[in-house]
This record gives sequence, structure tokens and C-alpha cells, in this order.
Amino acid sequence: MAYYIGKVIKSKNRMQRNGSAGCLIKNIVMRKLLLIIIPALCLFSCDPKPLTDVTNHIYVPVYSTLAAVQQYSVEPPQPTVQAAKIYAYKNYIFQNDLFTGVHIIDNKDHDPTKIAFLKIPLNSDIAIKGNYLYANNYTDLVVFDITNPANPQFVKRVANVFPPVSQDYPPFTNVYFQCTDKSKGVIIRWEQNDSLPLPNCRR
Amino acid sequence: MLLSSFSFFACEKNSSSPGGKSTETTGQGGSLATFAIVGNYLYTVDNSQLKVFDISNSADPQLKNTEDIGFTIETIFPFKDKLFIGSPTQIFIYSIEDPAHPKKLSSAISPTVMRRCDPVVAKDSVAYATLRTNGPCGGTQSLLAVYNIKDITQPEQVATYPLGEPYGLGYSGDVLYVCDKWSGILLFDISQPYDPVLINKTLADGQYQDVIPYQNTLICWTATGLILYDITDNRNPVIIKNIN
Repeated sequence: MAYYIGKVIKSKNRMQRNGSAGCLIKNIVMRKLLLIIIPALCLFSCDPKPLTDVTNHIYVPVYSTLAAVQQYSVEPPQPTVQAAKIYAYKNYIFQNDLFTGVHIIDNKDHDPTKIAFLKIPLNSDIAIKGNYLYANNYTDLVVFDITNPANPQFVKRVANVFPPVSQDYPPFTNVYFQCTDKSKGVIIRWEQNDSLPLPNCRR
Repeated sequence: MLLSSFSFFACEKNSSSPGGKSTETTGQGGSLATFAIVGNYLYTVDNSQLKVFDISNSADPQLKNTEDIGFTIETIFPFKDKLFIGSPTQIFIYSIEDPAHPKKLSSAISPTVMRRCDPVVAKDSVAYATLRTNGPCGGTQSLLAVYNIKDITQPEQVATYPLGEPYGLGYSGDVLYVCDKWSGILLFDISQPYDPVLINKTLADGQYQDVIPYQNTLICWTATGLILYDITDNRNPVIIKNIN
């Protein structure tokens, strides 16, 4: 994210302003200094400031509904798509498939085999204690009873305990993005698609 | 974009203190974890905050506390009554003697690297961190850094070992396993804890991200899923299976 900095930063007001916490650096600063300071100051909180030579990276918000985001289910074993976090509990191994759920693997007799896929939208991490599995589900903490690991049972949702992805702009600077529209639902992630025509918003 | 990362190690155990008496089995995460359970508490890190959930009633977690730590918190590793929290700028060490109210004891900055991504694990009076400098992590040279944490309020970097593109790490006995994206898993002898010696490496195939040494199995997260190794002989991992 901070790679394209170290160039002339120029303020224009053509663009949508979304941020609240302002960036401290507005003028020409030596590249080296910026490389160190910018990431520290503005990682996720910069005001959008157009650059004269901004890269043409384009981000598109992906919308969903809260109901869809909260839709968990137990599915048959599935191939791993985007391998992510790992967790061990008793004779079982769990592997997160990034933002889609958790592969459940029975490791009995040293012959590990997938036994189920617990679909949890936007999940990225879990922890387990005493047959209860805790997982993030977008902004919520959800709890499943895994007494039978092949068939987890939903137990509880603790709502709004984790931060959502930014609803206003992508978590990158010096990029273009499609301006957001709250009437379309909640933004669950930002996808890069540089082949689109340049959108009106940038930061 | 990633809500990101997590950690654990003392193997499957019945945790007693801290966090209150508990007879339930707790699982074990990798060094890139963002969730960690100690006793009756679940700790999570997200962006800039450490959250504390009381799970003494396992089915009904209660958010007890939220601590602002800094920005871009990446990993949490519980060790005894401490939490080691990795961020791109430093490692924060929190006491959870009072489990609902984590208290900051100190932070450690590697003088060698200004900025990097750094999962951390701790063992007795030593902590190991990989300081990765590629991409968004910044910095110039990736390292394995060794910290003396005998005085927990003043961690001191005592050794470094240059690495390619390191990610997660974990130990079993006197062997430290370090994931290196392009070199596979590097095995260090840590019988002299402040002076790790490279003794072995697995084949590079797999782009290793993180490991959990768990009983006699080394669970490895790779680009395509999992690779499991038998580490009955912890210096000589023997492949069991790929799970994709």
C-alpha cells in the first residue's frame, strides 16, 4: 500500500472525501522519509488525496445483505480454495478457507481425512475449548457445539464485536474505487479489477 | 483487507491458571492466530484492539473488555500468564494475571528492522519472532530475531538469523520450526535458546505459511491446504499426507 508514495502529492478537491482522520503529510517529502512515515501514519485512515500519478488500481465494493452474511451451514467435505489459518483440537485439525468457512479434518490413526466444511461467511479465525468452537463471522462472534465434529451445531451469536471492512473506501491508498452506495447493502469486501473504466472516487 | 492473523503452543492441555480453573480441553492455534484461549477467556485481536471474552460459560461468551493497542495488530500468542501480540512495528507483551484486564508490560522493537510483519512465539525466557520485510511489511532484511525476556519488562534482542521470506513459527522440545515461503520449513536447534542453530530443512515445495507442532504431528499450512509431518523424531520430519 505504501509503495507508490514518495512522489509529488497534490491536493485536489474533485474527489469524494470519505476519511475523517487526516493525513499529516501533504507536500513533497523525501521518498525515504515517506516510506517510513506514511505507513505508520496513514495505513487505514488517510483522507483521500489524489496523486498526480496515482496507479490505475481499481477497487470495487462487493455488497451483500446482513442475512446472507450471517448464513452458516454444515456442508460435505470440499476442496480447499484459499488455504488459511490452522487449528488443532483433540484428534481434529481445522483449516480456515479464507472468508468462506472451516474445513474439519479427522486425524485419527494418522490418516487425516476431511469430514465436513462449516460454512461461515467472512470467517478468518477460530479457537476451540471444551467442544465449543468460536469463530468470527463478519462483525460477529459465533459459537458452535462440535461434540460431533462432523456436524457442528449453532449455539450463539454475539453481534457487533468485530470491526467491519470499511464501508466508505478500500483499505488501500493511491487507488481508484467505485463510489459506495449504502442502499445496495453492506460492503463485505473490496475486489481489485483494474480493467474497469476509471471510477470517480479515489484515495 | 485481511482481518488477519493468531498463536499458541504449550500443546493440548487442561488449563488451570491464569484465566481461572478450567478442566476443558483447549485447542492450539498457529503463530499467525488472531484468536487465543487461555483458561476461561478468549482473546482476539483485530486491527487495533485486543478484546477479552469471558467464556466460563462456554456456550455464552461475554465481551468483558476492549483494549486499544495500536494499529494493525496481526497476531496473538499466549504463553503462561502473558500475551505476546505481534504488529508491524513491535511486539507488545501483556500480562493476563488478571485475565479480564490485560495489562501492558512492555514492547520490543528490533533495532535491526524498522518495519516488518512479525509473528512471535515464546518459550521460558526466550521469544522468537520472524521479521518479514517483503511487500506491505516494509523493511529491508527478513530475519529470525531472538529476544531475551528474562526481564519481561525489558525484552532485549540477543541474536538474529537472516531468512528469505519467513512466516509462522513454532517449537516442539528443542526444535524451532520456521516457515520460509521459498525454502520450506527450517529447523533450528534451540537447546541453546539464545543461539539457534540451523540443523535441517524440509523440501521447499508448498509455500509454507504457518506450523503447529501438535503431539507427534507437525501441521503445516501451505498455499494449497495442509501438509502433515510425523515429528516423533522432532529433528527429522517425515511426511504423512497432503490435504487440499
